[in-house]
Amino acid sequence: MTDTQHLVSRLPNDIGGLPADPIQRIDHDLEPWEKRCHALADVLDFHKIINTEEKRCGVEALGVEVIGKLSYYERWIVAFANILFRKGILTPTEVALKMNEVEGRWSQAGSGSRELV
Amino acid sequence: MADPEQDHHHDHDHAEITQGEAPGYFDIMETAVRELLIERKLIRADEIRRQIEVIDSRTPALGAKVVARAWVDPSFKTRLLENGRTACEELGISFYDDTALIVLENTPCVHNLIVCTLCSCYPRPVLGLPPDWYKLKPYRARAVSEPRAVLAEFGTEIPDDVEVRVSDSTAIVRYLVLPMRPDGTDDYDEQQLADLVTRDAMIGVIPVRVEQ
Repeated sequence: MTDTQHLVSRLPNDIGGLPADPIQRIDHDLEPWEKRCHALADVLDFHKIINTEEKRCGVEALGVEVIGKLSYYERWIVAFANILFRKGILTPTEVALKMNEVEGRWSQAGSGSRELV
Repeated sequence: MADPEQDHHHDHDHAEITQGEAPGYFDIMETAVRELLIERKLIRADEIRRQIEVIDSRTPALGAKVVARAWVDPSFKTRLLENGRTACEELGISFYDDTALIVLENTPCVHNLIVCTLCSCYPRPVLGLPPDWYKLKPYRARAVSEPRAVLAEFGTEIPDDVEVRVSDSTAIVRYLVLPMRPDGTDDYDEQQLADLVTRDAMIGVIPVRVEQ
């Protein structure tokens, strides 16, 4: 199979049966934002805003380079944002402005603690 | 492919008050998306809070309880193998997601292993969240093509005359392995049996062993 044929025969996350390294039995406790991200995924599913299959496709749609570089929950939140843009629920500008606000809130709070939810 | 999950360990404790440490870009993105959805009244803050509690409440102890019950109660085991979800619900285990649960019984002739080759689908209501290795490329890629080699890396040697079956999870169908009850446990009560059952045994990468 040529390189280009390989690119279209498999999506980046479709790796079943490919050669890979030995298993490394690593695990970590989720960071607070990772846990919130997971809870957000569940709540989006409950409300039929983004279901599990859409999330999986959303991660695939990030493309091989992004999938390769982002961590597990980083891929999720970027996929959620993209899906919400595509569905017309949020716009990139709104998210960008909100991110500035969130960041500003944190710098302003300075020595304060960060709100969870 | 470089494995991003492996680069994601930090030596600090995020549970502490994060004084002096700015939240990362993706942490901020999560907060922004969540808050916008809450402002639009598409989701509620208390739903996120509640779901974090649900996530925290799910541990392999629930699956272990199901396995131990199946070992001591043949009629429960029959119902469990018939419909994993309704049998778990009999034990008070709720399914907060919209998934079916298929329970796969290990026998002297068949060893089952579960994987999700496309992402990380996993029986979360009964086992909690999957370990990182379940989500990483080596396990997902190799479990379907060389399961015996993968099992050997977990220290599990499956005899050649035992069939190895690998079940690939989907967004709506999840699997739980019902391991074999180990020898020498005839006088164990249900709780003692449950205490022997580990997460990895219910994924199918190791058998249940009586601790020496």
